[in-house]
Amino acid sequence: MSKQEKQAVVLSAVLSLALCGATSASAMHIMEGYLPPSFCVIWGVICLPFLVAGVFSIRRIAKEQRKAMLLLAMAGAFVFVISSLKIPSVTGSCSHMTGTGLAAILFGVPATAVLGIIVLVFQAILLAHGGLTTLGANTFSMAIAGPLVSWGLYRAGRKLNLPKKLNVFLAAAIGDLFTYCVTSLQLAMAYPSDNGGVAASVVEFLGVFAPTQLPLAVIEGLLTMLVIMGMEAYAMPELRAIGYMKEV
Amino acid sequence: MIVAVLAGFVMFSLCVGTLPTAAAAALCVLVGGILLAFGHHSHGGVLVIDVYARRSRYFAWSPALKTACCVLLLLLCVASASPWVPLVLALILALLTVCGGGIHLHDYLALLSLPAAFLLLSGLALLWDYAPAADGAVAIPFWNGWLVVTAAAQVRARLVMARALGAVSCLYFLSLSTTMPEILSVLRRAHVPSVMTELAVLIYRYLFVLLSVYQSMKDAAASRLGYSGFARSIRTTGSVYGNLLATSFRRSGACFDAMESRCYDGEIRFLEREKPVTLPAALLFGGLLAGTVACMMIGGA
Repeated sequence: MSKQEKQAVVLSAVLSLALCGATSASAMHIMEGYLPPSFCVIWGVICLPFLVAGVFSIRRIAKEQRKAMLLLAMAGAFVFVISSLKIPSVTGSCSHMTGTGLAAILFGVPATAVLGIIVLVFQAILLAHGGLTTLGANTFSMAIAGPLVSWGLYRAGRKLNLPKKLNVFLAAAIGDLFTYCVTSLQLAMAYPSDNGGVAASVVEFLGVFAPTQLPLAVIEGLLTMLVIMGMEAYAMPELRAIGYMKEV
Repeated sequence: MIVAVLAGFVMFSLCVGTLPTAAAAALCVLVGGILLAFGHHSHGGVLVIDVYARRSRYFAWSPALKTACCVLLLLLCVASASPWVPLVLALILALLTVCGGGIHLHDYLALLSLPAAFLLLSGLALLWDYAPAADGAVAIPFWNGWLVVTAAAQVRARLVMARALGAVSCLYFLSLSTTMPEILSVLRRAHVPSVMTELAVLIYRYLFVLLSVYQSMKDAAASRLGYSGFARSIRTTGSVYGNLLATSFRRSGACFDAMESRCYDGEIRFLEREKPVTLPAALLFGGLLAGTVACMMIGGA
């Protein structure tokens, strides 16, 4: 390549990386057909115990209290709806919340895993986010790993007597960031770099998705905080019904 | 716009070195132009894919056949070792969806632009690599090392992108011809735990309720200048979501009372329309599957 051509390529690379923020931030979902078959199977198998636990816990809930089944269905629909809606964002891009941090704080991890996999199937078929072969990997990052971190942080924060707003914000934002790191790790393990292996590849994927995901995590944290504050102000009976207020 | 520039750039990195530079540049302009013309995806209260599926001419075909065959084709695509099989399959399925199913080409491409963003961003990470020495088709000095595109990375990226395109077109063929309740009834017959399928059917029905409630809340907030300025729109969005969750819980209470008064005993049964397997459908899917397997056998041998 001549010097001019090189300059053109560098310029377009810088431009595209700088403006990545304006592309769709549905980039969190690994798309259909992107992972090799062995990885699809492995991630699916890893999710299995969580899903089995979730199915049992929901079955128990449904037997004890039939109304709770409908409540869970509404919660699933709510998570899907907020994950499909556009939220305000700094770069003017199309960003979506994941809603999994909120679900984990409100319903606990096992129920979130089952709701999460259903919502991911819906997203694949109704919104073309994610896919069927990558369902296992996406379920692990978005419905298990992220919620586990959010829930754990929220619990720890309450033990430490952090201010409630800060606690919810941190739990949701860090859970979101963790989801994004796990997704990058999953991509890197499937496609390690030639010189540098998995570690170098992780850095590459993290770097490519960072412009969209970092601001998004902050916004997700803020919104989750506002939703919980709003519900505590206006919807105490409902919060009690799902067992969120009992423990406080 | 940015997706188009990105697409052009990724296509250029994919082909540079194997094709003459002029051809690579032409290809990248072509792809960028197509995306520029069609690539936008709409947001809104309406689930467009659901609407298209009900409008499709394949809607009358047996959902079990469509689901099973699309999933099989999907697996074949992902397992394929050469980029050509998934690419050809993607083309055939796109043609079938657009010409046979009656989806507008414009709508189909707009839907494709959604995964395209992911494909392109991660394509960058697959193609460009940081190396201490400059070897490969393209190399740019960067941070006392080089950003390079190697031939091996190009081959790998081509395979991954072809597989992903093929898989997405399989998924679109299914989702643009079969509605969610039908897919769920297939899953129920495939012995997925009934708790999950029941939950999924309920979720599907509540989606539309929640979306319309959200739409009216958003309009109410917007008409009171709730979305003027960034800080205020974050605040409004937060309180709208909180209110939506509270409303949805109240709705579910009302639903439960209605179901209870109609003898709800913990199990939900739905009426389904019979859709038998027809000869053209069986022939088409049989041909596609056989063709794909044959191509992969020949390619592998």
